[in-house]
Amino acid sequence: MRNVMAVVYRDALIRLTSLTWLFFDMAVPLLYLLMFGVGFNKAVGMGVTMDGAAVAYNDFFLAGVLSMSCFGSAINQSYGFFVDRDNGIFYEFLTYPMTRGELLLGKMLFQCIMALAQTALTLTAAVWLLNVPLNITLLPLTILGVMAGIAGWFFALSIVAFRIRRNDTFNTVINVAYFVLMFVSSMFYPLDAVPLWLKYLSYANPLTWHTDVLRYLTVGIGSGVVILAESAGFLLFLLVSFWFAQQALKKAA
Amino acid sequence: MTAISVQKLVKEYPRPDGGVLRAVDDISFTVEQGRIFGLLGPNGAGKSTTIKVLTTLLPPTSGTVLINGFDVVTRSLQVRNNLCVVLQENAVEVFLTVRHNFLTFGRFHGLSAAQVEKKMGRVVELFGLQEVLNQKPIDLSGGLKRRVQVAKMFLVDKPVVILDEATTGMDTFNKRATVNAIREEAQTGRTIILTTHMLEEAEELCDSIAIINHGRIVAGGTMDEVKKMGLQMFYLTLKFNEIGKELQELVQKFAPVKLDIVDNQVSVTVREHHTALNILSLAESTGALKHFEITTASLEDVFVELIDRKRAQEGR
Repeated sequence: MRNVMAVVYRDALIRLTSLTWLFFDMAVPLLYLLMFGVGFNKAVGMGVTMDGAAVAYNDFFLAGVLSMSCFGSAINQSYGFFVDRDNGIFYEFLTYPMTRGELLLGKMLFQCIMALAQTALTLTAAVWLLNVPLNITLLPLTILGVMAGIAGWFFALSIVAFRIRRNDTFNTVINVAYFVLMFVSSMFYPLDAVPLWLKYLSYANPLTWHTDVLRYLTVGIGSGVVILAESAGFLLFLLVSFWFAQQALKKAA
Repeated sequence: MTAISVQKLVKEYPRPDGGVLRAVDDISFTVEQGRIFGLLGPNGAGKSTTIKVLTTLLPPTSGTVLINGFDVVTRSLQVRNNLCVVLQENAVEVFLTVRHNFLTFGRFHGLSAAQVEKKMGRVVELFGLQEVLNQKPIDLSGGLKRRVQVAKMFLVDKPVVILDEATTGMDTFNKRATVNAIREEAQTGRTIILTTHMLEEAEELCDSIAIINHGRIVAGGTMDEVKKMGLQMFYLTLKFNEIGKELQELVQKFAPVKLDIVDNQVSVTVREHHTALNILSLAESTGALKHFEITTASLEDVFVELIDRKRAQEGR
């Protein structure tokens, strides 16, 4: 654990040197919720229909914002490997007395700590400003869900960062992947209303699993059995990604 | 006690054309605890690849590497627990102050902030970093960044220190400080491996060396052993009142390894002692010889000769 905390300490020091970075970490999900969410909520009027019931778009979109911010945080953190590589410190890290897994866990843990503040702000704004009926009793599980989302995506994107040596290629790949994953998921719209082919594709997307779980935990929308299966699927995605990320890191030098 | 043991190490890389590049080809050497070992060779010789295997950055294709008895493949974490490394590439936290660089490095190596602060004074003084302690390396020159990187190694007490071209980019004063620090650390029982292009530095510091070229060791042993590796080269310095044009032509007839004439001084390296004496006799016969000196060849001469010899063998 000492080594994991050393990584957290190092990343925290670096993040504190950039207030702009810190601000965007905190504010982006909030801005998404307040600008995109509120605008769309007004535009669709009646909200969206899920399982035959009408749901206000703000309520529906809250989980999308949370899962989007997990994905965004994971992109930022995995991009950090390119910065470290440019500074040469990445290779020195790999000679430090810690396992490759501890390095990954430390980076993931730091991002999770950041996410706690981010999630707190987003949920507060959702409840106070948009009157989203947040399920307070499931709040600890919501936080756990956010952390799992960051972990899963960070490990998965780290594999890409270790395999791709050029940061411009990484940016292109991630932008395309982000675009496809976001729109082929339940992040912006309920999957009941989309064409069948899109629905099937969306259910093969871990971003859908994560968003659905967070939606169930925050506002109680979704079927318990499906959510359980999606939770298990995402957990498996996280563990497999962690294993592959360690293997990729071993070959990254 | 053997601190580092490298036996029949081979490292191959896949080539884009589907072939294999053998960067390190069956090399073996050992380093005893508290000794300074130099790995020398031209660019692309395989030095940095060897260092990467020793530091667990790369797995070997075959062979065995033990650091303080731990295998770099099966006990890589224990290996990393036993060493600290200055890599050839610059490696500093450019966005953190120099002080925070020291604090984070110390923390990664198990030191508390108080322990780092305690040791920082000596290291900062040794490397002349007092004035930049609260600056970020992003604002420092390349030489200063390198000093910060090297200085970190002297904060921790790992038994093995690996320095890959550590003094590159440093000015003379800081090179001297680094060399002194390395020597001091070896006296405390730390084992040091260094790679360098600066042969004088290796000659000054190393107890033993290996000269590596095309992934193979072409010579190895103590400094004296390497110098004597069948070469028996001699270095003559001849000072004249004045030098006639014909002298250079006459000396060339002895087929010297190296010949330099600057002003009235002739520096010549030859393989045989009788050749050295014949040149001396020739110099004496000019009647203008003012001073002479004969020494065994420098490491640089041996190095150049060994690499040339190896190239000639491979060309045949």
